[in-house]
Amino acid sequence: MTDIDPFANVPHEPGAPKKDPIVIADHVQRRFGGLTAVDVDHFEVQRHAITALIGPNGAGKSTFFNLLTGFDKPQKGEWQFNGNSMKGVSPAKVARAGKVRTFQLTKALNRMTVIENMRLGAADQRGENIFAAFIPTLWRQREIDITERAHGLLHRFQLFEKKDDFAGSLSGGQRKLLEMARALMSEPEMVMLDEPMAGVNPALTESLLEHIVKLKNEGVSVLFVEHDMHMVRRISDWVVVMAEGRIIAEGPPDSVMLNPQVQEAYLGVHHDTDLSEESSS
Amino acid sequence: MGDLLIDVAREAFTPTTAAFALAAVGLNFHFGLTGLLNMGQAGFMLLGMYGYAITVREGGPIWLAIIVALVVAMVFGVILGWPTLKLRGDYLAIVTIAAAEMVRYLGRSQNFNSLTGASTGIRGNEFKGSFEALSPFPDRMVDVGPFALHGTRSTSWWLVVVGWALVAIFTLIFWRLSKSPWGRVLKGIREDEDAVRSLGKNVYSYKMQALVIGGAVGAVSGVIWALGASVQPDSMGRPTTFWVWTLLLLGGAATIFGPVLGSILFWCSLVLIKGLAAMWIPDTVLSQQQLQPFSLLLVGVTLMLLVIFRPQGVLGDKRELAFND
Amino acid sequence: MKRSLDTRAKARALVVFLVAAVAVTWLLTAQQAAAATESADVGTVIATDITSQPMLTDATPITVGAVASEVDTPEQTAVSSSQSRVLQNVFNGFVFGLLLALASVGLSLIYGTTGLSNFAHGEQVSLGAMLAYFFTTDQPVSIPLTPWEFVIGWPLWLAALAAIAVAGGTGWVQDRFLWGKLRKRGVGMVQQMIVSIGLSLALLNFLQWWIGPDRLRLSKAIEVKHQFGPIQVGDITMMSIGIASIALVSVALFLQKTRLGRATRAVSDNPSLAAASGIQVNSIIRLVWIMAVSLAALGGILLALYDNGTKFDVGAKLLLLMFAAVTLGGLGQAYGALLGSLVIGVVVETSTLWLGPDLKYATALGILIIVLLVRPQGLLGRVERVG
Repeated sequence: MTDIDPFANVPHEPGAPKKDPIVIADHVQRRFGGLTAVDVDHFEVQRHAITALIGPNGAGKSTFFNLLTGFDKPQKGEWQFNGNSMKGVSPAKVARAGKVRTFQLTKALNRMTVIENMRLGAADQRGENIFAAFIPTLWRQREIDITERAHGLLHRFQLFEKKDDFAGSLSGGQRKLLEMARALMSEPEMVMLDEPMAGVNPALTESLLEHIVKLKNEGVSVLFVEHDMHMVRRISDWVVVMAEGRIIAEGPPDSVMLNPQVQEAYLGVHHDTDLSEESSS
Repeated sequence: MGDLLIDVAREAFTPTTAAFALAAVGLNFHFGLTGLLNMGQAGFMLLGMYGYAITVREGGPIWLAIIVALVVAMVFGVILGWPTLKLRGDYLAIVTIAAAEMVRYLGRSQNFNSLTGASTGIRGNEFKGSFEALSPFPDRMVDVGPFALHGTRSTSWWLVVVGWALVAIFTLIFWRLSKSPWGRVLKGIREDEDAVRSLGKNVYSYKMQALVIGGAVGAVSGVIWALGASVQPDSMGRPTTFWVWTLLLLGGAATIFGPVLGSILFWCSLVLIKGLAAMWIPDTVLSQQQLQPFSLLLVGVTLMLLVIFRPQGVLGDKRELAFND
Repeated sequence: MKRSLDTRAKARALVVFLVAAVAVTWLLTAQQAAAATESADVGTVIATDITSQPMLTDATPITVGAVASEVDTPEQTAVSSSQSRVLQNVFNGFVFGLLLALASVGLSLIYGTTGLSNFAHGEQVSLGAMLAYFFTTDQPVSIPLTPWEFVIGWPLWLAALAAIAVAGGTGWVQDRFLWGKLRKRGVGMVQQMIVSIGLSLALLNFLQWWIGPDRLRLSKAIEVKHQFGPIQVGDITMMSIGIASIALVSVALFLQKTRLGRATRAVSDNPSLAAASGIQVNSIIRLVWIMAVSLAALGGILLALYDNGTKFDVGAKLLLLMFAAVTLGGLGQAYGALLGSLVIGVVVETSTLWLGPDLKYATALGILIIVLLVRPQGLLGRVERVG
């Protein structure tokens, strides 16, 4: 791993261009009826780094996240992944292009076993085609390879003993780890984590943080949406702050936390004034 | 009583039982594997029997008739699925019921009399001949142990053999496919479509494949049923679909042998209940005419109890419950 | 759960509908030439097979006293549409729609307050008609599984009231011992829907077992017809219109003006929000079930009078029409159910002008399918968006 900081000389401003962007978004707008949920002029995500997307409730983070994973379509604007346009691309195609996401409400497939969950995450299994499915020789070998990779990941996430259990019988934290492990089956270039710390007990937090840093060390780019500032400060290389649909600040964690605009967005403009009806603005 | 037991035992292998087992295998692709709430399986069955009977009546050979039956059902599946597979659960149920009823209305309509025979349907002698001609059994009543069936005509030993052979074939196909990676994707879709999308699979395409395959199997079941009875649109109405659901849930949805076991249990129980009721309940309380609705009333109650207390049916695994809450 | 659909899905739905409509129309005009020469099969006896669902007759009150037959009268297959015939059909459709609304409002409210698509609602309509027959007929009747026969023979108005009361009671029983318990156990909506399917099967066969498969009449009175311009109405029909209107207006007043009614609308609109604001949701639901079944029973009785006859499966045949009406109007919207019912009623009756009477329900089903695909929230419903 290079010692050169990829974020050196990157200006601490919204929409700052990155040295080696893996995601670039331009003029993205998403409206719901009369409400503009997302209005981002320019956005770039640095490759091989951990980027955090934060902001107060209703800032549009989740909507923007969905737009960047194909689970929602913007009214205006476009974005690209690895130089390829992802405009109008379905979520499945985005995943196949190398960008995998997890969900805030963990979607472990409960009535399937852990190992089957993992196998499902793999790409390029010809047996998933209906015609090839009839001829096991066409897919047996790939299944063996997939199972091997799954075992490796399960060991890493300490879920190997549970591999034949139904995912529904795992604890909440274990299901979160399973979802993360499953996302890695297809060897993605980028992993998008939707509030990975949501509902996670403190004992598991450290473990999760370590796993995410390990991802970066393996060359996977990570973007996560979070409310947990502790996590943001601990592991993110770069922080992007959204409020009211727009990006209001970018920078390394410490400088962003001290940014007065960011503080205002979180605490409200009049955080030190009397909020009774008579007070003037 | 002895006669009743023979009747019950015979019911276990009649062509009707085989046909409904097949229909349930088709539904197992839809609901058991993929979680699709197809409430229109009777529509697929009716289209299958129309396709077969009309082709034969117009002079076509059997192999062509089978192809027509399959193609008609598959096209119906595609037309049905193309706009509707994006609908959630109970909406899809209502649309599939409506579509199946439309097929029935169109089939029984006076306007199509020359094609479908309207409400009378297509009589056996117009389409059964070529199939019966293939029978290796003698052209008379044949006794096998206590069971007497005709060798070739209508509900015959020949049809019994063919029907159950098809059940075996399609059960095998279901088994192979459900154990394959293709089946795994469908099971994932049954759990959570978005999760499967996030793993790079085209959910819509897989659902369509399940719908079409299950519908094609339904069409075959319709052909078998018609070969033992006749092509009559009113016998393929909503109750028929509901019986298929009942016997699939009874045997165990998403299991390999659930459809077969469910069909056998369903039909044997019906005969048994009717028989016992006829024997034990005096005619003044329950008349001959009332036996049929009485036993079907119990079918309805059974469905309710099954779904509430044992949704996994006889063979199902409680953890792998086919219902997604 | 996503309920709004993207434009691509809507476009597909419209294409399928247009292609299907063109194909069916072409096939029909080609077949109608053939059908016109085949008079032999007109008036075919419908098989008494348990699974048969014969068509509800073309419900014009023109027939006097006789049991309405299922014969295709030549007049109705003629494509000519003189203005007065169109108006008569529209009027008939309006009346049918009113009666359909009695059944549909309940279905909509049940969906709104509990999320249940009640497939047994057709049987609630049949139950009302059968109960009324049970109380009013001068033929001997019996309770199932008992050997004793007796005659009740009450006047129709008394029998109807008794029927509605008993039906309302079964609504209470249903919620108290079945649906309420399932909700409490947290049984999923798909499972509950299938339970309602089982209940529908059970009730349908129970009614056939109890009352029998024959076509029955509630009243032997011969209808006196009146002429209002181009439209002909019988006096029994006029009375039915009156009663139905009073019932529907009462429901509307209840929902708008009373506290209980407003609470009901709140629960139907958003059950969790209503519960959070202190409304006793379970009591409201209990009330909704009683109301829904009572209204459906009334609908069954009035339909039996309007149609000059009824049968154990009258409701089963109407179930999909009710779903069409409720979906068109907006699931969970009581006024939507009324609006949808009127539209469906008029569409069904006027479609006989060019499609022929045995396909009239097909048009309603076509509407149901289209609405679900293009605008699933119906005319009055709100679109729920992805979070």
